[in-house]
Amino acid sequence: MATTTATLSLSSDMLSSPISISASSTLMKAGVTEGLELIEMGRGTIAETDGSKTAEFGLPTALGEDKAAKLFLVNKATDPTYYIDIDLHDTNIGRLYAGDWMFIPWGMNDTASELVIEAEPSGATCPYEFVLLQEPQTLEAHS
Amino acid sequence: MATTASISISSDITESVPFSVNASMTMYQAGTTLDLEETTGLAQRTFSGNTTQVTLIDVSATAVTAAAGGHKVYIRNTGTDKTKGFKVFLADATDDIEEIGTLYGQDWMLMPWLATDANEDIMVQPSSSEKMTIEYAVFHQ
Repeated sequence: MATTTATLSLSSDMLSSPISISASSTLMKAGVTEGLELIEMGRGTIAETDGSKTAEFGLPTALGEDKAAKLFLVNKATDPTYYIDIDLHDTNIGRLYAGDWMFIPWGMNDTASELVIEAEPSGATCPYEFVLLQEPQTLEAHS
Repeated sequence: MATTASISISSDITESVPFSVNASMTMYQAGTTLDLEETTGLAQRTFSGNTTQVTLIDVSATAVTAAAGGHKVYIRNTGTDKTKGFKVFLADATDDIEEIGTLYGQDWMLMPWLATDANEDIMVQPSSSEKMTIEYAVFHQ
């Protein structure tokens, strides 16, 4: 069985008693103890002039049931004013500013699960990198 | 008052080409290199006898600014059972709710949070009526 592990170390000294979070998870298929089997990664660039785009880490061909996919996405821009707006279908999750990353579970179970990205503000260009870890997809029949 | 987060992902899915990725970030206020200055602190909620959707993080109760910011949300299913999970949902300004995904035992997530409207709450739904616990924190402007 493939083993994929995601580990987080988070620290904050905002409070007089500092916050320190360590979390680690072995990533499994939905509801079972079998490891994820598919990995997809890449790098792209989106400019403000591109408008909103459906991210290339797209939905599987077989929808309809919850998947245990995990998505890592990082904005590699260096200008702190540049950000990537992240939409889940038509709901805005938030903004990834330069250097920010996110790691989320991704249901990928229907067309409303699509992720849409957009670079902002005017004139912004944001390189980004992604890693999508997921369950095996159903192969398409030969046409 | 720095808040930093590092992620490390390693995998042997591709046996012949071991995979790893590492990234770190300092959480800044929107469009600046000024540190985030507020947090809810680390909180925990336990659910039992309930498999309905409930609000975990209420925008109105979090004191985030009305303008879009560099807010970040951390959530973790502290259970160890990989067959049980919390579905995580996000609402938009019109209260349209989208499912993000499911956090199974020990799974965690860290994501930006727009939180510009009172409706943009984060909800969770446990998959089992047995005792399940989730921990979370918001780091915000």
